[in-house]
Amino acid sequence: MDLVLNVSGLNKSYGDFSLRDVTFSIPEGCITGLIGINGAGKTTTLRTILGLTSRESGHIQFFGMDIEKQEQQIKDRIGIVLDDGCFYDELSLNEMKNVIAPAYTSWCEQDFKYYLEQFSLNPKQKINTLSKGMKMKYALALALSHKAELLIMDEPTSGLDPLIRSQLLKILTDYMDNGGKGVFFSTHITSDLDKIADMLIMIDNGRIVFQEEKDSLLDSYRIVKGDMRSLNTDTRKLFVSTSETTFGFTGITKQISEVQKRIPDIIIERPTIEDIMLGSIEGGKNDVNPFG
Amino acid sequence: MMLIHLVKRDFLIVKKYVLLMFVVCVIIPPFMVWRVPEYAGPMSFVLSAIFAIFMLLQYVSLKEYQYPRASTMLCTTPYPRKLLVLSKYVFCLVNYAVCCVIFWIETFIFAELGGFHFEMPILMFLVLAVFLGVYLPVQYKLGYEKTKFAFVVIIMASPFVFPQLLKMEDGINLDFLNALPPALLYGGIILIGLMILIASACVSVEFYKKTDLE
Repeated sequence: MDLVLNVSGLNKSYGDFSLRDVTFSIPEGCITGLIGINGAGKTTTLRTILGLTSRESGHIQFFGMDIEKQEQQIKDRIGIVLDDGCFYDELSLNEMKNVIAPAYTSWCEQDFKYYLEQFSLNPKQKINTLSKGMKMKYALALALSHKAELLIMDEPTSGLDPLIRSQLLKILTDYMDNGGKGVFFSTHITSDLDKIADMLIMIDNGRIVFQEEKDSLLDSYRIVKGDMRSLNTDTRKLFVSTSETTFGFTGITKQISEVQKRIPDIIIERPTIEDIMLGSIEGGKNDVNPFG
Repeated sequence: MMLIHLVKRDFLIVKKYVLLMFVVCVIIPPFMVWRVPEYAGPMSFVLSAIFAIFMLLQYVSLKEYQYPRASTMLCTTPYPRKLLVLSKYVFCLVNYAVCCVIFWIETFIFAELGGFHFEMPILMFLVLAVFLGVYLPVQYKLGYEKTKFAFVVIIMASPFVFPQLLKMEDGINLDFLNALPPALLYGGIILIGLMILIASACVSVEFYKKTDLE
């Protein structure tokens, strides 16, 4: 399968924060979610691969092309939605479009009008009169109107109501059905990924924790609930993380058959992406109850 | 072509002020003819050009400062960062050309303004090149707020510095310039102006390339 994006050995320091040896790839035909808590490095990763911030080292390739050598051709083929719009708010939708459209060789005015109609946006309306959800839809209309092969979005669902979020997810699946080669978006709202993602990449504290297909990831983990008495030094090692109360423990494990052998009286549940994300975060063990 | 669209963008984001500056540019020369006729002529051209060019540039910088992420958004498109920088220089030069045309037309209407001799726009071009040559790289390096502060400090210091500069000028003999043929002199001024702008644009592009966008 061809890769639409390949990132290797990406390093970047940003004050107290740094991306360390970030390596991942996105195959063609996938909706890929970049997950992580706030401050994990999602936005920095996206901005660095797009060349918006400098990097100390690392290689970035889109469609097999090096971003350093063929930046313009690459950007012509990708659509980008940054969080919270990023427009000149005093311009109308049409005026802002007139600024952006000439940058693309394959800009399609018909597509743009179609999306504005679909999203009930008035081209004469000023951007500063749009709600957050409408701004996101407008950003999507711009990103989808130049035959983009890859869509990259930074926290597109953050701060949106459930209805608009579900509309957005529908747009993304439609985009893939209509020939899009990939969608890559960062989010900390993992329920959105439960619905549409094919691939998940988790980042924490500037490091990639895992990259896996969503279904195999969900299959490989299990939530286990049991009595505190069955938890000892040996059995604890079988869990990625545990949360303990006087009534019992809840843990997440990748070794369910071993756990079943050693602890007979347990309840086993399928985890959500959020369970796996929180369980995988080292700090999650101490600071929050990931399986509450 | 991309450069033209980016220059259009600069005009678009300050469209409220473009008409105002155009009116100011038109009004200053006849106003000076009316109120201070002894200073009308070259002085009114210099004033109207300074006003229009520098004020509009300030408004563009202000809008970019207000909406920094809009520039980030443009950098996610195929527009190269280099062109985003060059558009600022072209924007100022277009404004300068418009100022020249307005004043040239006004010299036909108001005889008191005198003729529109070629020396005037050429010298003004050098002044513009020196100002932009310093101002824009500083702004790309320090950002809008710090640059504004730095230039306020310079303006405040100018009453103390200018007398010193004038004293220094007494020691410099520029008479040889009068001996040069006008074509060579003014051609040289245009060339120096262009070289300043090119060098400045290169420096600005380098600064902006290394900027981490918000």
